[in-house]
Amino acid sequence: MAMNAVARETVFALRRQIAKIEGTLPERLQAPAAAPLDADANAIAKPDLTPGADLTIVRRGKAAALPDAFLPIGVERLDAALSGGLPKAALSEIHGLETRDAGAVAGFALSLTSLILKQAQGLPVLWIGTTEIFREAGFPYAGGLHASFGIEPGQLLFSEAPRLLDALWVAEEAARMTALAAVILEIRGNPQRLDLTATRRLHARAISAGRPVFLLRQAAEPEPTAAPVRLIVSPAPAVPRATVAGPLAGSIGRPAFTITIGKSRTALPGQFTLEWNPDERAFDERRGEEKRTQRTENPVPVVSLSRGRKDPAAAPGAVLAFPAVGGSPTARDQPSPGQRATHLGPRRAG
Amino acid sequence: MISHRQGNAQRISALDERAEALHLKRDMGIADARAMHPSIDIVEADPEADRRLLEGLADWCDRYTPLVALDGADGLFLDVTGCTHLFGGERVMLDDILSRFFHQGFDVRAGLALTPGAAWAAARFCGDRIIAGGEEEALLAPLPLAALRIAPEIRASLESVGLRTAGAVMAAPRAPLARRFGASLLLRLDQALGRLDEAVSPRLPVAPLSVERHLAEPVTLTEDIERLVGLLATTLKTDLERRGEGARSLALLLFRVDGAVSRIALGTSRPMREPMLIQKLFHERLAALEQDIDAGYGFDLVRLSVLAAAAFDMPQTDLIGETTDDGADIALFADRIRARLGEGAILRPVAVESHLPERAVAIIPFTEAPRRTTPPKRPDRMQAPMTIFPPERPIRLFRAPEPIEVPATEMPEGPPLHFRWRRALYRVTRAEGPERIAAEWWREAPSDAAISTRDYFRIEDADGRRYWLYRQGLYGGVSRIAPRWFMHGVFA
Repeated sequence: MAMNAVARETVFALRRQIAKIEGTLPERLQAPAAAPLDADANAIAKPDLTPGADLTIVRRGKAAALPDAFLPIGVERLDAALSGGLPKAALSEIHGLETRDAGAVAGFALSLTSLILKQAQGLPVLWIGTTEIFREAGFPYAGGLHASFGIEPGQLLFSEAPRLLDALWVAEEAARMTALAAVILEIRGNPQRLDLTATRRLHARAISAGRPVFLLRQAAEPEPTAAPVRLIVSPAPAVPRATVAGPLAGSIGRPAFTITIGKSRTALPGQFTLEWNPDERAFDERRGEEKRTQRTENPVPVVSLSRGRKDPAAAPGAVLAFPAVGGSPTARDQPSPGQRATHLGPRRAG
Repeated sequence: MISHRQGNAQRISALDERAEALHLKRDMGIADARAMHPSIDIVEADPEADRRLLEGLADWCDRYTPLVALDGADGLFLDVTGCTHLFGGERVMLDDILSRFFHQGFDVRAGLALTPGAAWAAARFCGDRIIAGGEEEALLAPLPLAALRIAPEIRASLESVGLRTAGAVMAAPRAPLARRFGASLLLRLDQALGRLDEAVSPRLPVAPLSVERHLAEPVTLTEDIERLVGLLATTLKTDLERRGEGARSLALLLFRVDGAVSRIALGTSRPMREPMLIQKLFHERLAALEQDIDAGYGFDLVRLSVLAAAAFDMPQTDLIGETTDDGADIALFADRIRARLGEGAILRPVAVESHLPERAVAIIPFTEAPRRTTPPKRPDRMQAPMTIFPPERPIRLFRAPEPIEVPATEMPEGPPLHFRWRRALYRVTRAEGPERIAAEWWREAPSDAAISTRDYFRIEDADGRRYWLYRQGLYGGVSRIAPRWFMHGVFA
């Protein structure tokens, strides 16, 4: 951690120097000096910055000077670590470590898009991807996007390019459009074409248009790009659904993500577990402890799901397990399927 | 010499002058011809290639008139009504056509007449004649029956009764001719003589508007072509404005000096008439086609046609004279992407009333006003039946469900405990479901309903990734086919 602090000092010193050379005024940000920004996992030692450390961070670009230049994610610690949120008019990298994490990465990007759409209502969102990534990770499904992120199918535009070069061209054309709420560019791996120059072009266009471009990179190694922010997203186990009678055992609740800051202007490290609330369309942060205990206590469903029936009728809606309420006869001893009374059949909720 | 197979024998189908000088004839057996002259060159006939060549020539003839029709395997009809004055009269036009074909290396016979039938006969039996109105009868009278475009059987039977020229047929009384040889003979005769109208059906739909520019000096550079497109579009704009329309579909035809014609078509999302925008779209299209268009010695005629037009709504401007229309930006953006990358490059989802997840959202190419697949019902059409908890749907769906290996389930109808997908083993920690989705019986009738029934499960693996799996088929169905498992989607 101490090393980390030293590294930050160096970074800031260098930035001040750059500002001096460029002749821009350094801007003071409200980044916390020694905030406990590290996640609980490695929060043993706080970064011991010297009390008077100068936290001057230079923001460049005219768009950054606007008062609403940042998109607050809605989670205090993460916003503080990013000094106000994600830059709105910029290229932001969202990384996934493996292709199979594509659901979480896309989900996080869509949550951010959903936050943007709260402010820019009705504007369409363009999702560009190469044929490869859509084949490997699945094509975005408008039915799910509407339910979880409130993005109407009429607002969605997709562009599928067989070659990376074409995808980049579409993205560059789209990045300078003010009629789009956000542009999502999804790329798999570390192609050579997606280098510093290509990302700088995207970033420059995003700045001038004032619209965000999310660069989703599945199964990619971090490499130098022009994006000011890089977030690494991995899936996190969801908490059970909340019901009136407490959490519903064995159920899968709201989507959750683990966000690691890979790169930011403030250069503060951090890891956060966020939970997306599809109803409020907002993020909640999940503190680790209570969650972890729950998962070790309750690894398997207490109530088994439907079984023993020959041909149950198709039920509308999801079939959910019955909540584990103390004293429920179904929770205790399960009769074998053969001798199960019909009236004790699994019950449906929803 | 060209040979073709007729019945069981190779026969001569076409031959050049030198072969004719050797007293070879059409429909002669190749074996006989070889026996007479062992050194002749014989090439197998390729009707497909001949057809392509003829179509290429038809494209090229588009420079004279938009109404070009193919005639059999070796002829072209050009309806030049109202076009001849553009080329300086009939004679000049015919000479121009013949000389241009000659320089391209074709031996062409042409006839020009008021009726297609007379022109056909003139081209094939007289050569390079212009038949004035009223002269058709004089032209046809001495010609053999073949000049009447009648079926060979009718011709043979006419000859058998001694009618050997068209004049003899014309002199014969009509009623017995019709009774004996059918109506088609008189129809052809009347058409040739102009008593009945005959329409030439053009190969390509005639563009409602087109503008063109003949160039004294052929152009080769893409930039020059783009500039020409801009100029032509400016001319087109006034025409479109007069009609109150905008172009929905445009085609650019580039006529190369040596006869090849490149046709570049593109569609627009909304009616468009602004020359700058049209030029921009063709810029993208030409950039995409850079390799495919071979300028060769240059293009000497550039034509811009409006293939389809639609009513154009003038946008309302505010006091500063600016319009705020985000839709126009999007439409133009989509047009440019499509001009460069093809029709399917920009897509939009459309909700379809279906409960099968892969059918519930159709992905269609972007158009400004989406065609409704179903009549509009409620604004919240995405949630088909109103339930308190609408069934959760994944955010990504695999194009084709991917088969997964499921070694064991806790219970026959329950979710899997482990599964193997793309060579990796996943441990299921939690599962929700099943959600049963049956096949649509009104679309296809499966032999066994149990096979096509799917039970969907939401699965979370040990790392927190959430998937949408389904089991296809039921245990103990009629056909006793073991159920199979598939991965269908990914949740956030």
